[in-house]
Amino acid sequence: MKRKAWVFWSALMFLLFVAAGCSGNDGTTSGDGGGESEDGTTELTLAGWASSPEEESLLNTQLEEFEEENPDITVKHEAIADQYMDVIKTRLVGGEGPDVFYLDAVEAPAIIETGVLEPLNSYVDDEFDTGDFEDTLIEAFQDEEGETYGFPKGYSTLGLFYNKEMLDEAGVDVPTNWEELEEAAIELTTEDTVGLGVAPQMARLQFIGESAGGDMVEDNQAAFGSEEVVQGLQPLVDLRTEEGAAAAPSELGSESTGEMLGQGRAAMVMEGNWNVPYFEETFPELEYGVAEIPEINGTQGTMAFTVSYVMNQASEKKEAAWKLISYLTGKEGMKTWTETGIELPARQSVAEELGFEDDELRGPLVSGAEYATTWSDGPNLPTIYNNFDNEFLSAFLGEKSLEDALDTGEEVANDEIGD
Amino acid sequence: MNNKKEWSKKLLYVVLITYAVITLVPFVWALSSSFKTFAEISSGVMSFIPNEFTFENYRQIFIEEELFFRWLLNSVVIAGGGTALNLIFNSMAGYALARISFPGKKVWFMLILAVIMIPVQVTMIPNYLILKELGWLNSYQGMIVPAMINATFIFMMRQFFINFPKELEEAASLDGLGRFGMFIRVVLPLAKPALAAQAIFVFMGFWNDFMRPLIIMTDADMYTLTVGLNSFKGQYVTYWNYIMAASMVFTLPVLVIYMFFNKFFMKGMSFTADK
Amino acid sequence: MERAETSSTSKVKESKKKRRSNKRLLRDIIQGYGFMLPTILVLLTFILGPVLYAVFLSFFDVTLLGGTVLDFTGVDNYLRLMDDARAKRALLNTGLYVGIVVPVQTFLALFLAATLNAGLKGEKIFRIIYFLPTLTSSAVLTLIFMWMYNQNGLINNMLETVNLPTYNWIGDPNIALYSIMIMNIWATAPLFMVIYLAALQGVPKNLYEAAELDGANVIQRFWYITVPQLRPITSFVVIMGLIGTFQLFDQSYIFSGGSGGPSNSTLTVVLLIYQYAFKSLGTMGYATAIAFMLALIILVASILQRVLSKEEQFN
Repeated sequence: MKRKAWVFWSALMFLLFVAAGCSGNDGTTSGDGGGESEDGTTELTLAGWASSPEEESLLNTQLEEFEEENPDITVKHEAIADQYMDVIKTRLVGGEGPDVFYLDAVEAPAIIETGVLEPLNSYVDDEFDTGDFEDTLIEAFQDEEGETYGFPKGYSTLGLFYNKEMLDEAGVDVPTNWEELEEAAIELTTEDTVGLGVAPQMARLQFIGESAGGDMVEDNQAAFGSEEVVQGLQPLVDLRTEEGAAAAPSELGSESTGEMLGQGRAAMVMEGNWNVPYFEETFPELEYGVAEIPEINGTQGTMAFTVSYVMNQASEKKEAAWKLISYLTGKEGMKTWTETGIELPARQSVAEELGFEDDELRGPLVSGAEYATTWSDGPNLPTIYNNFDNEFLSAFLGEKSLEDALDTGEEVANDEIGD
Repeated sequence: MNNKKEWSKKLLYVVLITYAVITLVPFVWALSSSFKTFAEISSGVMSFIPNEFTFENYRQIFIEEELFFRWLLNSVVIAGGGTALNLIFNSMAGYALARISFPGKKVWFMLILAVIMIPVQVTMIPNYLILKELGWLNSYQGMIVPAMINATFIFMMRQFFINFPKELEEAASLDGLGRFGMFIRVVLPLAKPALAAQAIFVFMGFWNDFMRPLIIMTDADMYTLTVGLNSFKGQYVTYWNYIMAASMVFTLPVLVIYMFFNKFFMKGMSFTADK
Repeated sequence: MERAETSSTSKVKESKKKRRSNKRLLRDIIQGYGFMLPTILVLLTFILGPVLYAVFLSFFDVTLLGGTVLDFTGVDNYLRLMDDARAKRALLNTGLYVGIVVPVQTFLALFLAATLNAGLKGEKIFRIIYFLPTLTSSAVLTLIFMWMYNQNGLINNMLETVNLPTYNWIGDPNIALYSIMIMNIWATAPLFMVIYLAALQGVPKNLYEAAELDGANVIQRFWYITVPQLRPITSFVVIMGLIGTFQLFDQSYIFSGGSGGPSNSTLTVVLLIYQYAFKSLGTMGYATAIAFMLALIILVASILQRVLSKEEQFN
């Protein structure tokens, strides 16, 4: 009997011991390691979110190329599986942040304000050629003094993706302005298909909301309750509630508007270039075309989404970290990354070299970069769009008038923001 | 009389089977999706039998993920070690709260109940900072030690021990057993059913835990299965086929453990007052 | 009884008793705290420590990112709660959710357990099948349900075939919260069912036999024997249910993509806490203030439950 207890306790101690031992091998995490290791190589941590297997392998190719060029640097890639920003923020608070990490433009202004990012202007040399980047993209990562905190790895814009067969059958031309779009949508709507699939989110609709001269965000406060914004969005809502020619993905059992198009549940959608490889893989039979988003009131508009590589201000390996960033966002690295078109190159020179302007599918998306609204609008945008999305859905589904919904949303958002 | 009994039995079966179907539908759907191609899942056609039966999703998980077995090991060590510690510590605390009268008992009990009521979201960052100070980030003990007790199950074990027959303890103390010896040799064996139920719940808690390992483990070598296999939700596109296959891989071990313990806690487990 | 004895003997005895009880007290303290030691250590370091830190933060405007900046604001965070429309909405949603889910899931769990305990063939298989949802992580379950809930999904298809009205389960603000309720009841009831099932094994069989002889039918036996016999367990199940439902987060997060929409209809208190703690920077203090108000509400509800059910056990 006595022995049994003894065995039990020693087993327990052993388990604890093993647990302690197993983890001991990783004493040095990014933040606390002092620069170089014994053999003279520097280990950098690079954090990003997990994405498609294709993106993963492209990034690995990039990193291999980089390590070949810089034999004294090794890069440890961490893919954060979910809730990326929560995890990154927690690690930054704890002083355990990665050296280099992804940062979406929508989060950038708030993060820049806190001072956890390393200003990059002093690192830039002529060879890096900042002027080569699309201005609208890089602006999202700059503060008021013009200091830059991140360089885009690429970008995506929205275009009008349409089902060629359906348009042909209905004898509808690809719309070039909003009136034509509405007519086409009504024409294309059948029992199983809506004319236009709409993602009812500010991230996708800001340019429409601002098409009638309104601003959805003013002085870092929500302003989407204004008459002009309502005026801008009303036609879209009417298309759904009055004509039944538009629908949100959740209404039809799809996950995204891209899926709606693929499944034949929508004839036209406003989607981004990430759909090109997606369609190839999942809907190889789909015959689709891409056009620029139709003009609204005679002006062109679309959204642009961009993600930058940024440097942790607390990193102790800044020189190496800059080398990595300048490679990944440099001409050579960006070419590797964007060659297959998962993202569009944020550098004009790379775009020219890859010739996406002349690409049938990507050409219209590349042209969008010039006039796109970049999805980034001050530090409070996350709170603002959260409240917009929350209320706009009700209006889009016809549960509330658009005016009421947006008024409520604006008020709540500004309450939350305070002054 | 007999006829009536037959009828009520049939009715019971109808109820049981209906509920079983309701329960099985989502599960079977997830299982069948794990054998579908991504294209088929995306096509929006709903069918329980895959059009094109494929093991590709499982292959992606088992073979393409080089670290799969490392993650499995991590999950097993954390869930296994954590469960073992929970069983002993929760029972000890539950026993003390039920059977030993020491000053401050009430306060501790209220405190234990109170902490269940505070949402984890607010303690997440302070907790992270403590683990960092201890140097326990990226370690097994960082996952196990803060969760090696569980207020819910201390509460449950207390409810169990409070009705434990006194005579047994008295008899044991006549045999010259100390309190701890008695606890290990007399009390715990009799609490087997409660321990079995606890074991399953605690194991499940560790096994399915997502947010904690996501934050604590930064090194891919230290990921648990839940974190490692959760990378199929892309920024724009979600790979349902892989997610469903992964969720089947998570569920199977717990199901096996449940089936194993099932027979224990059906054998007269009880924390009811009057027997 | 000692009063009856003479004063001198009683004094001697009392001092002896005191010595004995002192010794005993010391032993109990050592044993009690010995048994509690691991719990107390973990509780102090990893739970109470962070909680106290969070209490502290609730009196400040907090910026954690980029160097901790604390701005003492006194009880402002608590006052702000009073006229926060979203907080009210969140509390209302959560209250409704708790009010419906706790009774239904408790009853369903008890009912399923009693049914599975009736000595039918194939019980074992049912026990395993019913437990499946509990074994699957809530994130995966939520995703499966969202797929079934969509407008052309399985549930609407089934409703259509039997000529019942279909709903926009996720998109309609009047329905969305109920959709989450159904899903949660379905997923949590089996967990409590297992606990009930285990407890049912301890109900003496002769009680049922006696009642059957007295001519009580199945339903009467359920109400007059099973239910009262299981009262202590019901108390545990209800309190755990209260805590679990008050802290609803995962499902509404996934359902609404974190926004609590449509029109705040799936906004819960913990989702709100999460939004303030992580989504917007500098509102950590406010988030912790809401968390403590929530803990207070749960505490009151638990005490109320205890008073209502006149539970002796739970002291």
